[in-house]
Amino acid sequence: MALLVDKHRPRSLETLSYHQDLSDRLKSLAQSGDFPHLLVYGPSGAGKKTRIVATLKELYGPGVEKIKIDSRVFQTTSNRKLEFNIVASVYHLEITPSDVGNYDRVVVQDLLKEVAQTQQVDLSAKQRFKVVVINEADHLSRDAQAALRRTMEKYSPNLRLILLANSTSNIIAPIRSRTLLVRVAAPTEEEICSVLKVVGKKEGFKDVEALNKRIAKDSGRNLRKALLMYEAVHAQNETVSENTPIPPPDWEALIAQVADDIIKEHTPQQIMIVRAKLYDLLTHCIPATMVLKTLTFKLVPKVDDTLKAEIVKWAAFYEHRVRMGTKVIFHLEAFVAKVMRILESFLMNMDF
Amino acid sequence: MPADIRSFFGGKPAGTPAKKDEPPAKKSQKGRKRAIVDDSDEDVVETKPKKTTPRKKQAQREPSPVGETTTTSEFFGKSKPKRSEPVKSKPATNGSTATPSKKTNGTTASSTKTPPSKPRTNGRTSSRKKNPPKPADEIEDDDHAFDDEDLEDDDVFEAGFKKGPRHDSYKKDLDEDEPLLPQQRRAGRKQKPTKADDDFEPEDEDVEMEDVEEEAVKPKALERNAKDKPASESSSTKKRKSPELDDEEDDYASPKKGKAAKRSPAKKKTKKDEVQDSAEVQAILASIPTIRAPSPPPKDGQSAKFNWRTAGNATAVPSAAGSKEKPVGAENCLAGLTFVFTGVLDSLDRTEGQELVKRYGGKVTGAPSKNTSYVVLGSDAGPKKLETIKAHGLKTINEDGLFELIRKLPANGGDSKASAKFEEKQQKEAQKVEEMAAEMEKEERRVGGAGGKASASGKTAAASGPDSRLWTAKYAPTALNQICGNKPAVEKLARWLRNFPKNQRTGFVMGGADGSGIYRAVIIHGPPGIGKTTAAHLVAELEGYDVVESNASDTRSKKLVETGLRGVLSTTSLLGYFAADGEKVEESKRKLVLIMDEVDGMSAGDRGGVGALAAVCKKTQIPMILICNERRLPKMKPFDHVTYELPFRRPTTDQIRSRIMTIAHREGLNIPGNVINALIEGSRADIRQVVNMLSTAKLDQSNMDFDQGKQMSKNWEKHVILKPWDIVTKIMGGGLFAPASKSTLNDKTELYFNDHEFSYLMLQENYLGTTPMLASSIHDPKERKLKNLELVEKAAESISDGDLVDRMIHGSQQQWSLMPTHAIFSFVRPASFIAGSMAGHQTVFTSWLGRNSTQGKLMRMIKEIQGHMRLKTSGDRHEVRQQYLPILWEQLVNKLQEEGKEGVDEVIDLMDSYFLTKDDFDAIMELGIGPMDSKDVKLETQTKAAFTRLYNQRSHPLPFMKASNVIAPKKQAKERPDIEEAIEESDEGEVVEEVKDDEDEDVDVTKDKYIKQPKKKKEPAAQKGGKGKGKKAKAEVGEDSEEDEKPKKGKAVAKGKGRGKKA
Repeated sequence: MALLVDKHRPRSLETLSYHQDLSDRLKSLAQSGDFPHLLVYGPSGAGKKTRIVATLKELYGPGVEKIKIDSRVFQTTSNRKLEFNIVASVYHLEITPSDVGNYDRVVVQDLLKEVAQTQQVDLSAKQRFKVVVINEADHLSRDAQAALRRTMEKYSPNLRLILLANSTSNIIAPIRSRTLLVRVAAPTEEEICSVLKVVGKKEGFKDVEALNKRIAKDSGRNLRKALLMYEAVHAQNETVSENTPIPPPDWEALIAQVADDIIKEHTPQQIMIVRAKLYDLLTHCIPATMVLKTLTFKLVPKVDDTLKAEIVKWAAFYEHRVRMGTKVIFHLEAFVAKVMRILESFLMNMDF
Repeated sequence: MPADIRSFFGGKPAGTPAKKDEPPAKKSQKGRKRAIVDDSDEDVVETKPKKTTPRKKQAQREPSPVGETTTTSEFFGKSKPKRSEPVKSKPATNGSTATPSKKTNGTTASSTKTPPSKPRTNGRTSSRKKNPPKPADEIEDDDHAFDDEDLEDDDVFEAGFKKGPRHDSYKKDLDEDEPLLPQQRRAGRKQKPTKADDDFEPEDEDVEMEDVEEEAVKPKALERNAKDKPASESSSTKKRKSPELDDEEDDYASPKKGKAAKRSPAKKKTKKDEVQDSAEVQAILASIPTIRAPSPPPKDGQSAKFNWRTAGNATAVPSAAGSKEKPVGAENCLAGLTFVFTGVLDSLDRTEGQELVKRYGGKVTGAPSKNTSYVVLGSDAGPKKLETIKAHGLKTINEDGLFELIRKLPANGGDSKASAKFEEKQQKEAQKVEEMAAEMEKEERRVGGAGGKASASGKTAAASGPDSRLWTAKYAPTALNQICGNKPAVEKLARWLRNFPKNQRTGFVMGGADGSGIYRAVIIHGPPGIGKTTAAHLVAELEGYDVVESNASDTRSKKLVETGLRGVLSTTSLLGYFAADGEKVEESKRKLVLIMDEVDGMSAGDRGGVGALAAVCKKTQIPMILICNERRLPKMKPFDHVTYELPFRRPTTDQIRSRIMTIAHREGLNIPGNVINALIEGSRADIRQVVNMLSTAKLDQSNMDFDQGKQMSKNWEKHVILKPWDIVTKIMGGGLFAPASKSTLNDKTELYFNDHEFSYLMLQENYLGTTPMLASSIHDPKERKLKNLELVEKAAESISDGDLVDRMIHGSQQQWSLMPTHAIFSFVRPASFIAGSMAGHQTVFTSWLGRNSTQGKLMRMIKEIQGHMRLKTSGDRHEVRQQYLPILWEQLVNKLQEEGKEGVDEVIDLMDSYFLTKDDFDAIMELGIGPMDSKDVKLETQTKAAFTRLYNQRSHPLPFMKASNVIAPKKQAKERPDIEEAIEESDEGEVVEEVKDDEDEDVDVTKDKYIKQPKKKKEPAAQKGGKGKGKKAKAEVGEDSEEDEKPKKGKAVAKGKGRGKKA
């Protein structure tokens, strides 16, 4: 009994429920025998990975689904040992180089070369090449990306790369030019609703159209999120109706609290209270940019119209700083102080 | 004007020879007249007690003029009036009739200044001369009843006197005033009225003065009326007059030094002899400033301060608001006076002020008492201090008052009581120093002699030759009374050592008077250079012990302590120890004491040494004295309860001073007491350092003044590295950003560098806790709140800027030269906004470090979870955290929480389906936040137990192969060590070895290995795949089923898994 999202994950290109044309193209690519390097990008929860897995199955047959996790140790130039997990089947490897932070270059160099320099031995295999799926390719460091580019050409008889990214902006042009770009757009709300409906039917849940719509809307067109929310709603309520509240994830609830704190009182002491909560969020692995973004979206509806632009502006300003700096809490706190000051001076009818 | 006047003066002497000729004759008269004057004064004195002091002063002054030549006297006679005039004019400005009079002030002031520019001697003489005339004035004026005013207002000063009379004279006959003086000299008082006019007109200077005076006259008259009524005003006038006093006093002071020779020294001696008189005179001088700020309550003090300041501006201080010139005074002029500083001074910071006082021989104490001579009052004075000031009726002055004091007071504090006392004390001290020096010399000779005898044959030469020892050794105390400070501790040590044999006999059970009887060892601790080692050695010697010493230069590891001390500690070997030493020792049966010096210096090389030593302390049969600097260090913990603690404190300056002076004396260094004080304070009472400093100084100089001393102690300064807490308190609450603060940007940056890793973190943690100074002036609470927020916002922004700089430093660019920039952005600038009182806020340690490591830990957990879930899910770790975790928490943790035991099965199924382990369960619990906070989770112990039991009973699918045996062929040589490492870490020795063997075989045939391995993997993978579909791997109790965790490696693992799953 896995969660719905994994339980009902489509396993072949045929069963994918939306972006039909994309599925068709992938299918023909897989069957063509000349499979290119792929760079698959799209927002989180759009179905990139699912499509890739389905494509791989199309390429190699069901053997691809027999996967295991392998843990390997790499040594950096500074003699530091890196433990690195690889998800692998006979036909493909799946790696997340950004797991090892700045040392991703080592992993990319060593591992890819090792894989690329060996040929497929299984004569019964459908394809002569192996596939390496690189997750979070947009988090690859410049060095690692540079290390990739030559490998892609040199070892192309033995190796195909599939890069997965949220956006192509962080991927260097040479790599982009060596890959086939595949954009997987987020599903529309209607598509999400239809998926929810199908899943609900399979699980025997009562179908409430309006609730599904709300979930689709709240999920921000993230199908994974939508499915998990859907499950959460149904798990917590015996019977659901249109008005059944959708339980927010823990961290969102806390950020909502923070927003309330900021609105409620504007004093240095309050900033300290807020700081503690922000620290909690950060330590519990909520990325600072996510905190800032969510916080802004929670704040904006609560403030006067004239202030909205200002707040969004500063949120953007500090999000940039969060990315530029190291100690994110400093920037978050500066944002909070800024917002409090803006609110306070607005209350005093002063211009700022 | 001034130029004219000068020329006048210059010309006069030349032009007035005739007059001069006359004066000699008159001078003799003067002498008589003075006597008369005195009489008259005395009469007044009788009526009003206050006046007594001033008159005496005058009396003293009288003698000095006698010695002078006529010409000078005339000169002064003329010049004096001018001085006095300015004074008069000032009162006018102060009075209600303001503007015109001020102008006059300016002119007069300039005129007043000119006289000083002339040779000082003139000035002095003039002052003296003044005195005599004044009395005359008084006498005349008495009729006009100005006496009363004078008495009230001016008792304290002569100046007051002078002015008083003059005013009066102005009132009645302005012209008379100046004429009077000359008249008196020439003709006597009776002639005055008539002669005054005559004399006056001819003299050009006087005329000039007149003009000024005339302008001022009216205001003065008005003032007078005012004066008569309110007492407070009168006090203000006094203050104004004080500037004059300065001149006079300076004059007074200088004569003592330089002119003593010129004027009949006999007279001066008489002054000194009449201790009372002179003391009183000085007391008067000293009291001048007091009057200015007579009101103990703070407000009054402030008002007084204001008046005082205006007066001060008129005289010397060029009213550049921010910084005032530091006064230069006579040497040691504050001798014998005790000062207390309170509040924030205008232009000085506290330490500067205190240093100023010390420089001139004054004493600074922390809290006022009845012995305090002056309280230097600033704004925001402590209420407690103000109370005591009120209670004791202490004199309060402000910083200008202090400056005036320094400027006015004569060298060595003049003849005031305080200075007399001080002098007496100093003399005593000097005497003592000499005595000690003599004693020391004697001792030395004795020792030298003894040494000579002992080493009769060969070493005599060495003994008699120049002493090449370090001063610290040369002047090490040789008797208990020579140890500076810590008397009680030393006595305790001696007592303990004396009683040791007795305690040993009784088995260390009787505590004795001070409870030291139960200890076999003593630990002396205290800062360096205060004589711990010296005391220990000395006491040991005096109590007849032979010393075995061990210090940080010896290795003192556990082994060495145990073996090395064995010979020393047991009594049996003790005898053997001494048997070898010769009969003499045997006879006296000298005892042994072990001194373990620098115990806290037992470091990495002395592994286990502290523990071993502590153990030895418990059973030793000879006394042990341990010495260390820091008793509180955690590594000194073993000594708790096994040693008797004797804390040594820094001796006070007084305790050291005489010793140091003795040494200086012996070495022929001429160093005044206050310099030695400065040295001692500069080194924080480190005797050894002071002695070393002296020895260095001796190399190239034979005396040292205050500045040199300060400089030296600054050069030798031990740099105290502030702790993060102190740094942040200092930068935010230390008044560094107060308008009066003198600290530079550099100073503030320097603070950051005291601990550049923590200072800014600490600031960031605490900056919200202040009450910003910049907002404190706003009274509207709402506006202040906004201002506060603005400041906080700016500070926060600056900190955020600082982080960007930090990134440049610690990021890939490594721009370490940006450190100062970082200091400014992340530390100084934020502090500049929010600096202020930190009251009500407790400085907390930065939470960033803790938070950061928690984040690291939780991030690792997330990675782990994501790694396990990876086969089933597609999200990265952020998606897992943000999207999966809430629902997993709901379905795992919350389920257990709500359904209890019933939920256990389902929970475990879910976990297995995602390959989550029990650790992951705990991690999920811990990762909850807000409404899912792990603190709010209450799992019943029963549920927990059931969960654990059930979980352990079942076998669980493990997708995981720990530590790879697949190695990049190229890298093999390099990487093999890694694998070994990894294997070692995994704690599975045996399995590891097998795997290694496999590998070795594989290595030979690289290609084969590659083929093989996929096979190896394939199997498990396939099985897993099956597992994935069929899932529910029930617990089949194979050999390995109980130890699910184990099957991590190689084939064994795969098989184990396979079995479990298929079944």
